Amino acid sequence: MSRLRRDPRSEWQARRVPAAGSSATRLRYALGVEAIPATEVAVGPTGRPRRDPRTAVARLAVPGTARLRLDRSGLSRSVTGAGAVSAAPQEKLVIVEAPDFWVLALVEAPGGQPTPHDRQVLGAARLLAGPGAREGGGGVILVSAEPVTGAGRLGADRVVTLPVLAGDPVAAAEALAVLAGHFSARHLLAPESPLAGDLARRTAALLEESLFAEAELVSADQVARRRGAGRLEERRRPPRCLTIGLDRVAMHGGSLHEARELAFSASASTASASAGSILSIGPVERDAATVPLAEAEFVVSAGNGVTDFDLFRQLASALGGVPGASRVVCDAGLMPRDRQVGASGTVLTAAGYFALGIAGAPQHLQGIAGVEHVVAVNTDLHAKMIERASLAVVADAQAVMPALLALLEAGE
Amino acid sequence: MAGASAPLLGLAVLVAGLLAAALAAHRLAGWRTGRPAAVDWFGGLAALPRRYLHDVHAVVARDPFTARMHALAAGGLLAATLLALLGAIPALGGLKLWWALVFLAFTAMLAGSLMVARRRLPQTPRRLSRGRFSLLPFLLLAYAVGGLVVSGDAALGGVLPQVVALAALVLAAAGLLGLALQIASGPLRHALAGALYLVVHPRPARFASVRDTGLRPLDLAAPKLGAELPADFAWNRLAGFDACVQCGRCETACPAFAAGQPLNPKRLIQDLAAAASTGSNAAYAGSPYPGAPAVAGLGGPLKPVIGAGAMIHPDTLWSCTTCRACVEECPMMIEHVDAIIDLRRYQTLEQGAVPEKASAALSELRLADDAGGRSPAARADFAAGQPLPVLPFEGGETDILLWLGEGAYDLRYGRTLRALLALLTRAGVDFAILGEVEKDCGDLARRLGDEATFQRLAHENIATLARHRFRRIVTADPHAFHVLKQEYPAFGGSFEVLHHSQFLDALVTEGRLAPAALALPGGKPVAYHDPCYLGRYNGEVEAPRRLLDRLGLPRVEMERHGLRSMCCGGGGGAPVSDIPGKARIADIRMSQAVAAGAGTVAVGCPQCTAMLEGVTGERPEVLDIAELLLRAVEAAGDGQEQAA
Amino acid sequence: MKAVVLLSAGLHPVSARPAPVPVEMQAIALARTLGAAAAGLHAGPGGPGVADALGHGLARIGHLPLARGADPLEALVNHLAAHPPELVLAGRCGQGGEDSGLLPYALAARLGWPLIADAVALEMQGPGVLAVRQALERGGRRTITVRLPAVVTVHPAAPAAAAFAWGQARRGVLEVLPVPSGFAGDAVPAPELRPYRPRPRLIRGAASGGSAADRLKAATESAAADGKLMVGPSPEEAAREILAHLRKLGLVPPRQPR
Ligand SMILES: Cc1cc2nc3c(=O)[nH]c(=O)nc-3n(C[C@H](O)[C@H](O)[C@H](O)COP(=O)(O)OP(=O)(O)OC[C@H]3O[C@@H](n4cnc5c(N)ncnc54)[C@H](O)[C@@H]3O)c2cc1C
Ligand code: SF4
Ligand code: SF4
Repeated sequence: MSRLRRDPRSEWQARRVPAAGSSATRLRYALGVEAIPATEVAVGPTGRPRRDPRTAVARLAVPGTARLRLDRSGLSRSVTGAGAVSAAPQEKLVIVEAPDFWVLALVEAPGGQPTPHDRQVLGAARLLAGPGAREGGGGVILVSAEPVTGAGRLGADRVVTLPVLAGDPVAAAEALAVLAGHFSARHLLAPESPLAGDLARRTAALLEESLFAEAELVSADQVARRRGAGRLEERRRPPRCLTIGLDRVAMHGGSLHEARELAFSASASTASASAGSILSIGPVERDAATVPLAEAEFVVSAGNGVTDFDLFRQLASALGGVPGASRVVCDAGLMPRDRQVGASGTVLTAAGYFALGIAGAPQHLQGIAGVEHVVAVNTDLHAKMIERASLAVVADAQAVMPALLALLEAGE
Repeated sequence: MAGASAPLLGLAVLVAGLLAAALAAHRLAGWRTGRPAAVDWFGGLAALPRRYLHDVHAVVARDPFTARMHALAAGGLLAATLLALLGAIPALGGLKLWWALVFLAFTAMLAGSLMVARRRLPQTPRRLSRGRFSLLPFLLLAYAVGGLVVSGDAALGGVLPQVVALAALVLAAAGLLGLALQIASGPLRHALAGALYLVVHPRPARFASVRDTGLRPLDLAAPKLGAELPADFAWNRLAGFDACVQCGRCETACPAFAAGQPLNPKRLIQDLAAAASTGSNAAYAGSPYPGAPAVAGLGGPLKPVIGAGAMIHPDTLWSCTTCRACVEECPMMIEHVDAIIDLRRYQTLEQGAVPEKASAALSELRLADDAGGRSPAARADFAAGQPLPVLPFEGGETDILLWLGEGAYDLRYGRTLRALLALLTRAGVDFAILGEVEKDCGDLARRLGDEATFQRLAHENIATLARHRFRRIVTADPHAFHVLKQEYPAFGGSFEVLHHSQFLDALVTEGRLAPAALALPGGKPVAYHDPCYLGRYNGEVEAPRRLLDRLGLPRVEMERHGLRSMCCGGGGGAPVSDIPGKARIADIRMSQAVAAGAGTVAVGCPQCTAMLEGVTGERPEVLDIAELLLRAVEAAGDGQEQAA
Repeated sequence: MKAVVLLSAGLHPVSARPAPVPVEMQAIALARTLGAAAAGLHAGPGGPGVADALGHGLARIGHLPLARGADPLEALVNHLAAHPPELVLAGRCGQGGEDSGLLPYALAARLGWPLIADAVALEMQGPGVLAVRQALERGGRRTITVRLPAVVTVHPAAPAAAAFAWGQARRGVLEVLPVPSGFAGDAVPAPELRPYRPRPRLIRGAASGGSAADRLKAATESAAADGKLMVGPSPEEAAREILAHLRKLGLVPPRQPR
């Protein structure tokens, strides 16, 4: 195959501009940030600023037409920011006007709902920025692809919505890099999850920064992570780019923050050399019943004490758990072999395990050694699984299963 | 003049003999494709009669009917044929008495042949092969009846009409020729191959009543590691495969076969024999590998043995627990386990074609010296505060070096080891462990074919042991026991090794431990389950039983026990290879304990403990010998305190 | 097709002995599913852990010798730009460097190649077009097609690596490649390292920023510690308690009134 021979080094150089006052170079970016015009901001009943969505939409319209201005920058958005939070009326709102520095917190928030991991990233950002409204403190900017419910409650001083984040990761990373550059963000945080972790790495690579991956401990002056094949802990002052491990940092739980929206438009002039190489991105497929056990977050598992497997599968699906089973059940052909949990089946990395009618033989327990939260239902008080569980229920699993299903169906 | 056709019988024998010899020569040429082997021809030849009459007979005689059958049929056939051949010499052929002798021999053979036929009536037992084997009784009967008539006629001086005598001669000749044809590839090839195999057996020490069961070291510098092709086996092993009579004794004994896993040692040997000669297993007419995935069934001396396009599916190979039950039962002294390990070695070392879980275990053994990747520092955690002296890095001195083994990481076996510690302490034994420098003994790696890791572990452990002075090694793990005792010497580490049951038995005999009579709950008797690596591999079946009897426990034997005991399913890496079957070996074994009426199964091995405790539902309790003894010793202590 | 699998200098997590990085061995297996002529490439100090990859299905490994602790990026970029394969595969996170999974990204950025993360399966879709099956959170999957050349990182959920074959490792070739001066990589500042002590994960809902007591609770509390036992509750009682517990842990989504 004769392919054009490229020189990535010179291409890279070509995309750079000399940084002011030094021989180093930085990425060229074009950007524009506008604060939302005061005309669009009204004061809500809670005394917090609130945007009028109609004005915002009108502003986007191309004058003289009914068409909206096409803009990759994220100006078009619905308004569910801070205003959607119903807080206790007398609670004081923390307003940070001109912080010393900015902390960018990228969250995934599918459908605008922050995940627990997202909340923890905001918690970490808050720790790095300080409580706000104090001299020398920082401000937290929440960055997401769509507006996030309750951003102020999570500790965000500003919110930036960039729809481009939901699309091609190359463009997304460029937008993030531009944003970080614009705010001279001291820190850029993301959850260590497949998609956000990917985006964080792309961005760090563009910024030519190192990445402090999967931080387990975060404070204003120190962060820690595991490395060296898991044998060592690295500690250092918080660097620029970090990803935050799951369930490592508590979410922000104190003050209510302003979550003022910033409109930000970045024209992607950096036109990455690899742009256009990604030809298609298929839809996400996820079916809890077929998720490989090793990847499951929450496993609902049946043992010899379960007799009605249709009911069991229904329950697993209603709980949104991935079905698993003990060896006896798989040996009997009641569940497929790839559902077996344990030493000779799958060793789980799940956060939660719900064991129905499983005795807890040593080979089975080996499979859940790393699982933090175990819930067990067993008729035998002395079963090893009861001992292992953080919530242990001595009851007939066959009776508990329909009761649980009934609760879930009743929308409880 | 005796019956005129009688000397012709001798001629027929001669022709058949030449035919058989020609065919056998062809077969011999086939064996010569194998690798060379160091063989003591003179010693082997000299020992042949004893090996046949003593060792083979000892195995055959476990089934008295078959033993009588074989003695009559084979003895009669050999004697009658030889005598008839000599009858072709005019000086002898003229004697009526001579033919009377021949008549007698044929009578014996006829009786034997009838037994051969009877064995397959009304129905051929499952373990026996059909196909050409079904023809065998007819050939034997034809030869016996024909020979009987001809020689009887001659003995009486020719009283039968010419036609009848001639017809009888034709019958005998036909039977004989049929039998001769079977020498090369049919059922009778065992006669030749078996005799030769007894002479050139790769484990001659077996015949000196030595439990020579350690695997042979593999030369890791060899261009090819392990057996890929039939020609990669030593020639005397190839002869051994041809010695198989398809009696199916191994099949009956095989735990994997019983559990419906895709292994049948008889078929395996037959497939190897077929691969080495005809290249097709189509003629096989015995039990299959239960539920094995289909394979092409094609081979040849220079074609791979293992694979879907070859003779044997890999699942067959990985189902074996290396329990040696097949070897123990085989009247032809075939070494199935050696063959299986040779084949595994090639798969593991050259192909990396190991079952997934087994591969993970081997990887951990290679990189962290433990199949579970556990820290050596955690090995002694089970002691939970009980005194457990640890030798220094070097120059340690102790009477008894306690080898903990892999069971130490297991919570359940930790209880056993704690009991053992308590007993050693009570008996005032001077003992110590190696501590963090004890590595896996290498048993699992070796049985899974990873000879490279085994040899590394062996060398490192031997070097560690050489840094200390001790009198004996005691271990509660029969696998470690076997490896340390029988397999390390080849790498320069010779130690006196005792299984804990042997050592505890000695302590009780010496009066250093005084157990009281023990009563088990429910009053049900205890059954002792022999670990393969202690019993069959090393011949120790008495000490544990003696010890149990000292506790005053009512004891029953399971149907299979002692040297012929049945495996728990835990050896040979079978639990990590985990080839599915219809049942689980441990369940079968436990049902045997239940059938024997046992309320407790006494064990002496971490694998057996884990496998048998994995049996679900109501079942006898599983307790180690050390746990039982500790209870008895504590009971005695309590008794004394009360008396005082 | 020519593929290069990036190899890092791993350690075994328990024994701390040099060891191949499992996900990189899975990358080799993935390359083999494409029928690609795969070679290994290591920039760093080398060692037995790297050479072990020869036993996992690579016939040859190129080694760019660098000092321990040197940044391998420049050497890799230089080598791959001079001898470009069509596909570069890497584990989702290497070892021996910063262990942050950033290197493939930096490499792709420098080469100007696209990067697809977390592959569990690969398939050619035509000349120069690769379909990458990507692992997402909680067992999700999607397919991304990309024009080669590309960098693809491999997820641990990819098919198992080929077992180590001692004989193959013995036959494989480890070739030392030249590293021109100026590409040997700067030494990365040594981080502050100490032995790792596992710390319990936090309860999902725990929040910081409240009272000092709240924060202490959030920092120390883990659900494993709150062991609760119910003996013989009614099925409804049990169901309520279980559901509440699972929701508190964030394992089951909060209730959604219909
Ligand atoms: C080498 C080896 C490897 C093994 N690997 C694995 C493995 O990977 N995974 C694995 O799971 N096992 C494995 N096992 C098997 C293991 O030892 C156990 O046999 C198995 O885990 C038991 O499964 P169980 O708990 O479902 O069944 P059981 O032991 O029969 O337990 C059933 C439990 O359900 C309870 N129960 C009964 N009825 C009810 C009811 N109506 N409601 C609630 N509770 C009820 C009982 O009290 C009991 O505790 C292995 C065994 C061996 C020897
Ligand atoms: S060693 Fe045991 S499991 Fe293996 S073939 Fe022989 S009898 Fe069967
Ligand atoms: S291998 Fe031995 S025991 Fe098995 S069938 Fe052949 S002769 Fe009989």
